[in-house]
Order: sequence, then structure tokens, then C-alpha cells
Amino acid sequence: MEVDRVLEELRADRELSELYDDISRDLDAAANLQALEEVRVAYLGRKGKVSQLIQSIKDLPPEERKRVGRLGNYLKGYLEKSLEKKAGELEKQELESALREEKTDITLPGRYMPYGTRHLISRIIQEIEDIFLAMGYRVVEGPEVELDYYNFEALNTPEWHPSKSIQDTFYVNVPGADYDDVLLRTHTSPVQIRIMEVTPPPLYVIAPGRAFRRDVPDATHSPMFHQVEGLAVDEHITLGDLKGTLEHFAREIFGKDRKVRFRPHYFPFTEPSAEVDVSCIMCHGKGCRLCKGTGWLEILGAGMVDPNVFKYVGYDEEKVSGFAFGMGVERIAMLKCGVPDIRYFFENDLRLLRQF
Amino acid sequence: MRVPLEWLEEYVDLTLEPADLADLLTNAGTAVEGIEIIGEELKGFAVGHVLEVQKHPSAEKLSVCRVDVGVEELNIVCGAPNVREGIKVAVAPPGTLLPDGSRIKEVSIRGVASRGMILSEKELGISDDTQGIMVLDEECVAGEDLARALGMPHCVLVLEVTPNRPDCLSMIGVAREVAALTGKRLKKPPFSLKESEKRADDAVRVEIVDADLCTRYAARVIDKLAIGPSPWFMRRRLLAAGVRPISNVVDITNYVMLETGQPLHAFDYRLVKEGHIIVRRAREGEILTTLDGVQRTLRPQDLLICDPSGPIALAGIMGGEHSEVSDGTSRVLLESAHFEATGIMRTSRQLELSSEASYRFERGVDPNGCVYAANRAAYLMQELAGGEVLAGVVDERARAVEPANLRLRVNRTGRLIGIPLRLEEAKDFLESIDMEIKGIEKEGEEEIIEVAVPTYRPDLEREIDLVEEIARLYGYNRITPTLPKTSNNVGGLSTEQKLRRRIAEIMTALGLNEAITLSLISPRWLDLLDRERDCLPESVHSLRNPISEETSILRPSLLPGLLDALRFNLNRRVMDVSLYEIGRVFVHREGSKQPAEPLKLAFVLSGDWIPKQWDREAEKADFFTAKGLLEALVDALRIRRWSMERKEYPFLHPARSCCLLLEGQEAGCLGMIHPMVAKQADLPTEIALMEVDLGRLIECSLELGMYEEVPRFPSIQMDIAMVVKEDVPSREVEKIIKDAGGELLREVRLFDLYRGGQIGEGEKSLAYSLTFYALDRTLKDQEARGAYEAIVKALGEKLHARLR
Repeated sequence: MEVDRVLEELRADRELSELYDDISRDLDAAANLQALEEVRVAYLGRKGKVSQLIQSIKDLPPEERKRVGRLGNYLKGYLEKSLEKKAGELEKQELESALREEKTDITLPGRYMPYGTRHLISRIIQEIEDIFLAMGYRVVEGPEVELDYYNFEALNTPEWHPSKSIQDTFYVNVPGADYDDVLLRTHTSPVQIRIMEVTPPPLYVIAPGRAFRRDVPDATHSPMFHQVEGLAVDEHITLGDLKGTLEHFAREIFGKDRKVRFRPHYFPFTEPSAEVDVSCIMCHGKGCRLCKGTGWLEILGAGMVDPNVFKYVGYDEEKVSGFAFGMGVERIAMLKCGVPDIRYFFENDLRLLRQF
Repeated sequence: MRVPLEWLEEYVDLTLEPADLADLLTNAGTAVEGIEIIGEELKGFAVGHVLEVQKHPSAEKLSVCRVDVGVEELNIVCGAPNVREGIKVAVAPPGTLLPDGSRIKEVSIRGVASRGMILSEKELGISDDTQGIMVLDEECVAGEDLARALGMPHCVLVLEVTPNRPDCLSMIGVAREVAALTGKRLKKPPFSLKESEKRADDAVRVEIVDADLCTRYAARVIDKLAIGPSPWFMRRRLLAAGVRPISNVVDITNYVMLETGQPLHAFDYRLVKEGHIIVRRAREGEILTTLDGVQRTLRPQDLLICDPSGPIALAGIMGGEHSEVSDGTSRVLLESAHFEATGIMRTSRQLELSSEASYRFERGVDPNGCVYAANRAAYLMQELAGGEVLAGVVDERARAVEPANLRLRVNRTGRLIGIPLRLEEAKDFLESIDMEIKGIEKEGEEEIIEVAVPTYRPDLEREIDLVEEIARLYGYNRITPTLPKTSNNVGGLSTEQKLRRRIAEIMTALGLNEAITLSLISPRWLDLLDRERDCLPESVHSLRNPISEETSILRPSLLPGLLDALRFNLNRRVMDVSLYEIGRVFVHREGSKQPAEPLKLAFVLSGDWIPKQWDREAEKADFFTAKGLLEALVDALRIRRWSMERKEYPFLHPARSCCLLLEGQEAGCLGMIHPMVAKQADLPTEIALMEVDLGRLIECSLELGMYEEVPRFPSIQMDIAMVVKEDVPSREVEKIIKDAGGELLREVRLFDLYRGGQIGEGEKSLAYSLTFYALDRTLKDQEARGAYEAIVKALGEKLHARLR
């Protein structure tokens, strides 16, 4: 309240009140630091008005000295504080406008940072693995160069089966020997046999890998492609379990709103066998070019492990049952990402690789 | 298998729309691949009655016909040789549009007005027959709508019949399936043969020599045949089923094969010597010219139908040209036999010859269906070709095939499928597909149904086959989806698998792009990779039956595939390439059928690693880019003991190549491509390559590093620049610095390499940044200084290096 009282007293003095108003006006008017310095000099410099007022106090009559001294100090204090505050404001303003003066074309591209990409097929395989890992499966592998026994015979494939012909299967020359039962595996299913041979049930595994068929390359055929095999053997595995497992898988990989359909089919190493379709990802079942008007896309083959297969690996078909499935990774990738031609996956055009 | 619905309807009532029927079949295991409508384009055509045919006044080969089309008579100029008075024909009146898009106009042909056109089957879009105009059945009425008269349009289902269901390769088989699925009854067409007094067994003798390949041979003889075209209904059905009509007798054999699934063959009886059929294996080199006009040399594995003078047909595959039914045939020997699937398959493969007959025999034909089919065909020849059927069937049976008896455990079946299954239900399902229930037993809790399986279902051999039938008929889509109730199982990735994923992530984070290249490479690469040819080719696996030489070798290295991919990119003007691959290669193991398949990691770099930008120059991918990438990988994997040493490889530049040692053992190579290899492989010379054994990398890696104390006291930084002889390797300098610097020296980093200026000829200056610190205290300047002086001294003594 002291200050207010002093201000009141100051207002009562016409001359000093005018000086106060001059100071306020000049401070307001100062637009930059230089102008502000001029204001300081005008009032607080050696010949400044406030300095002179304070100088003049000693010449005043004693009764005035006290009053003018009080008011003069008040003015000086007011001026100093205001100068400091104003200087702060102006400095900030000037820095801001100076910074703004440093023009940068921020639309120039950022510095090149090399980052790589994984192949779409690897990404899809990993996605499939993760879905099954979360369901308690393990990932296992088997050789790409296989024996007829594992690729066909132990999978209950009849001796005369067309897939065994030299038109369909690549047979391998072993250096320095003459075997006719060494081949490039035509599917990842032989891994089923290999894993069952060495592992007692229960068994929940998937086996991703390369497979080879003697197909002349075209938009949907490649002599090399990838499959993921799945196998579950336990007590009381049912066809319903196969359905539940693959429905979960199909929705995880193609989206929650997919419909899944199981159709009876035939494979030598499963019985009952099924082909699994999902509702078309493009038309959602209405029928379009992708699904050839059917509304469905075939994504994998599956079935209950044939008892003959169990016999080959020494499992007791009365004690355990199981299901197996196999899917083409390229097909899933093509459907998911719209890739129109299977050959593109192995050309490795960087512009394609870097899209996924 | 193409199934015309109007044909199928003869054997089962069809109450469903074609699309619904298709769904039903698909969901029962016989997928319908397509639904075709045939004859939709036959609009505006009419049945015409040819009233009069006259020669064209000025053209030898043309006729002028007066044709009654109901509403009027049209004068039509026709060039077909088979036009004649009294026949019924297909007419396109003026203004109609042909299936090929052209429109019929009134025209003048060599001075005679022609109003409309008499059409051939080809012009109608019905078949490829261009022999002449289409002659319609006599019952057709002039002026009738042609499509109606032809029974069109009609609908064909295209079925994907799985190899286990040969019974569905026939109309009756499909009808049986439809009947089971819709709760209808199968209707086999009734027919009655009028046999003549003459006996077939007086005319024919059948001898099966090789009974292992022929189960049964039934023959009938039909006399007094008039060979001619088949009636339209038969041709329509054959065409719709994809079989070309030829003549009534041949068409009937095909028709009955499609109807019953039993392949038939008709021999011209005159050309079967003594009417004596001998079924035997071929003699080595025996020759037969088949119906397709090809002369075939046979081997003892091939089964023949012979007469006493030699082969007359390739059993179950194709007839012989010599005994073929022709226009002059009046008496035929009709064969309805059962041949073993494997024999037919072997011969069909060997000769690369297949037919509708062999297709069915390979999959399995009902051994007890021969006589029914022979009778049915004989009946049709009697009705449609004026034939007189000789009495009796000559039925030679090598052995009888009885229906198999199977036992189905009902509860177990329900448990395996995951459905509640009652005995009655199971019984109904089995009966719906014509299984004969022989009895029902109880064994404890289990109920067992015993059935006899009809011989047209060779796929039903075991209990599990019946389980599949139950599941299929129950409907897969009605089974409740569940998840396995696993008790004793845990999943997850192995450490090795986790590290493999991590390596791919590191490579990607380092800026490389993953490629997947074929495991099959060209043999040219073997020479390039090993120019001396001193080890590779003998140990390499090749394909016995490659598609092309380019893809005939199992890759011993990932580099060829990556270099091919690199070239592919360069050819497409993608110049800055960095590709890596993780994959298996093939390495021969002495005494083993299967090669080792070690996993490798490889990369190739070419062009700019960092491209030129608006404020800085490009950084080319070179040896040190590649080395830096490999060092970063090894470091990121927390591998402790590794080094890179000079080593030459035939495919790498001899001055810029090295090997990677992991724990003292060679694990891979790195370098610039050898210019000769680059040239021969049509590649640029500035390519950096690396290939390393992934297994070794993983063995030496730590999944997680271990804690090492981080200094909490300030460190001291000092630079040192030394001039040494040009041929002193930088690593040697670094080693001396480290040894002399003592334990306080924690980091040594080369930051400058300088030649020229005041540095003398044959010398270079190496500048290192040194970092000193102690873990327990703030280091004093003198301590670092002391170490520094020790370093200078050691370098001076050991390398005659001097401070710059």
C-alpha cells in the first residue's frame, strides 16, 4: 500500500505527474532496444530528466527535500524496472524475428538413410510361424534334397502316383553314385515323417521351407516355391480341432471378418482330407475375377493323419490321432498383397522388394 | 468330368437349381469348377424342311434349295455336299445374327437370289464339324424354334473328380452321389435286349493269358448294323461332355462309357481273325498302329488285345487302326473288359498316350460292371443302329472280385470327427451311399456296423475310409470348430531360430534388402566360382531331369543366385543394389545319398551405397562398405573372437579379398569380385561380395551380451598421428598401440590416413584417436600422457614410426 500512497502523492504534484506520464509514454513507444536505450539516456543519463530531478533535491528547501526525494526515487525505481522488463520483451522479439530471418527450405528432402527390407515371403512365413507359436507349436525343418521314402512312400503315396513321375518331380544325381530315389522334395510334408520318427507324441509343429516341382514357370507356377507344413498329434485330436485351428489361422492372416469353408478332398497322406477356402478378400464372397466368380479362395489342404502314415513312423493309431496341413506361402502372399505373378518373387527387382 | 444336367436327370430327380447343386457337390468333396450354359446363342434360327434341291445354273458345286421354315418358303443357295431333299436343317433367315457376329442378309450368289442360310454345326457354334450342313432328326418340325428342337440351351457342371473317386467319372456315379446328398433314389434306365437265335459264343472265343493285368473280359457280338450318324440327343450329350461324335456305333461305346464309367471298344468283327481274342503281354518290339495313326513299338510290360495274327488293340488305352469300325462295318465285337490300373498307367506313361478309357482304368473301374455296360451298349446298337444282338455274353473271368467287408466303430468315428454320432445316423449315412449293412455288433461300449462295399467304390478299403464318408455326408461345415485340448506340450522358437531371425533383422537394419533366389543355378557358375575347376564340379549335385540347363545345378553357394539377381536389376536400370539372402546350399557328403545343407548368409553390393544428395557426394559401395557391414553384424551378434585375414579366392579380386575367422576357424569370405569373373558373367567389376556360414555365426553369437562396467568418471581423449612405411598394415600399428597403451587405454580409432605433402615417398600417416579412462577414479593427465609416450616409443622401436 506504501507504493500506492507514493503514487497518489506523485499524482498530486502536477509537474512530477506529467514527468511520470512522459516516462510511461516513451517506454511504450520504444520499438527496439536502441530506442529503449535512448529513453534510458533521456531520463537516467547524466542529463536525464530524472537524474536532474534527483540532483536538484539538495537545492530544495529542507521541507521539500524529503517529499521530492521520495517521489524522485520512486520515479527512478519505476523507470529502472520498466526498462529492464521492456528490454527483456524487446530482446525476445528481436531474437524471434532474427531467427525467422534464417530462411530454410524445409521442403528439401531429408538426408538419405539406408534401411533394408525383408523379402515378402520371409515376412509371411514369420507371420505364419508367429500365429502357430502362439498356439503352442514349435518350428522344425527338414532337408530340401529328400529320399523317395520320405517324400512319397511313408506319406502313403501309391507307387504309381502321377506326382512321382519325372514330369513332375526333380530327381537328383548324387556325385559318384547312381541312385534313383533322391529328389528335391515336392512338398514340406516329408518333415512330418522325419519329426515323428524321432519324437514321441504329443507333437505340435510347423515346418516352413522350400519345395520344388517340375512346373514350367508361368504366372501361378514356379519350379521352386515355399510351403508351411503343420502337424499335431496327440490323444483325442479331432477333425473339429483341425477346423478350429485353421479357422483361427485363416482369420489371423486374412482378417477377422473372413468366412472359412472346409471341403472334403483327397490327399494320399490324410484321411479324412479337406481343402480350406476363405471368403474372397476382394469381393467378400460376391464373386469376382480373383475368385473366378465363386466367392471363395482356396488357401490350403489339410486332413487327419492317415493311419498308414502312423504305421510308417511307429505311432499307435489306436492311441493317438492327428491332423496335418500344408499351405503355399506364395499363394498367401499373392492374395494378401495383390502380387499378380509368382515369378516376381524370385526376380528380386529391388523396386518390388522394397514395397513390402 | 463334364456333366450335362439334362443327361444326369435321366438317372436322378434334380430338384435344385444348378448353382445349389454345385454347392452341394462341392461341399461333399467333388468340387464344381464351373457351370456352363451351352447353346445360349442359338436365337432366331429355325428348323427348315428341304423341299427341293436343284443345281445352281452357273456354279457346279452350289445347289438352290427350297426350304420350308413354317411361316414361309425360302430359296437358299447352299454349297454343302450333304444337302438333299427331305432332310430337316437349321436355317438362319435373313436378319439373324450368327454366333460369330456376322448378320445374314439377302444376297445374290452368282445370279441367284438367296434368302438366308442353311447352317453347319460349326456355324451354329455347336461343334468344329465343317463337313457339311447340320442334319437334324426327322421328328423336328419345319418352323420350330431351333434351340427348342435341339434341347438347348442346357447346363453343364464341370466337376473336379478327385483320384479316389473313379465312380464319379460316370453319369450314373454322379447321379448316385446326388441321390445320396438329396435323399432321392438312383434310377437306372430300364432296357430290354432282343437277342437273336445265333449265339455269341459260337462267334467269339476269349483267352486271357496274362491274368495279372486283366481281371475280366466280356464280349458281345452285334450284327446287321447300319453305320451312320447318331441321333441328335446322343451327339448333344457327347459334345457337352467333351467327346467328339463319330458314328452311331462308336458314339454308343463312348456314350455308355460316360454313362456307366466302363470303357468299351467295338472291333469290326470281320477284322478279328477267327473271332478269337487273346489278352496277353506284348513281345519285345512288337508293333501296333493305334487309332490315332501312330505306329507304336511295344514292350513286354504293355498289355495287348490280339487275334491269332497279332495285336489289334492296346488294352484299355486305344484300339488298333486295322480293326477300327468303318462305314462298311456291319458286325462288331464289343469289348467290355476290366484291366488293372497299374498296368494301364505304366503303358500310358511310357507311350505318352492317354484316353478317356485309360483315364478311367488308371483310377479304377468297377470289375463287376462289364456285363451291364456291354448289355446297355448292345441295346443302344439294337435301337439306334438297327443291330441284331447275338445271344449271350462271352464273359471270361480271370478271377472274381467280391465286395469288401468293413467294420465301422461308431463311437470311435464320432470321436475322430468330433461330433456326436448315433448308430442310426451312421447307418443311414452308409445306406445312402449303397453300402450293404451286414450286421451290427456291440463290443463293450463300442457299436460296430459291418458293411459290404460295392465294387464300384475301390477307395473304400479300410475303416478310416468309411469315417471319411461319414464326415463328408455329415457335412464338414456342420462340425463344431474346437482347439486341441493339449496337456503335455509347449511351443516356441529354439535359440538358433531366434538368432536366425535376429541376423535377418540386423541385415535389414544395416540397410540391405533380402532376396530369395532359386536353389537351382546354371553350370556356367561352377566354372566362374572355381576357375581352376579343382574342387567344385565333382562334388556338385545336378538334376537328372532339369527343365533347362540354366536351372540344372543345386547351388553350392548363394552368390550365383544373388549375382543373377544383381544383373537382373542392372538390366532394368536399377543401379544401386544391395541384396542379401539367407538360405541352404548343398554340399556332397561322401557315402551319403543326401547332401549336407548348411545355411549360408551372403550379400552383394553394387553402385552407390549412399546416393549423391543435394548437399553431399555419393558414397560408392566398395570393399570397405562390405567389410563394415560384416564387422557391424559380427559386433551386433556379440561375437568375441573373430578376425578378418587376407585370403585369395578364385572368384575374388586377389588384392581385395579376405576370410572371416570365427574363433580361429574360417567361416566365410568377403571381397570384390574378380574382374575376369565379372566380365564372363556380364557384370560390372565394382561388386562387393560376402558369404558366411550361418551356423558358425550362430554358434559363436550370444543371444544377449553380458554386463560390462561403464565408466562413471571422465575420460581423456588424445590424438596421435604417426608416419610409417607404406607396407605396414594398419592393424599392426593398432596392435602395438593397444599393447603399449596399457589397461587405461580403452579405445583406439583410426580417423585419418594421409599420403603425400610432407609425408615422404613410400610412407603414410595414420592418425588415431585414443580414449583413456579408469573405472574407479578420475584419470590424471600425467597418467594418460605416460601411456601416450609409451605408445610413441613402442611404435618408434618396432616400426621405425615417427610422430608426424
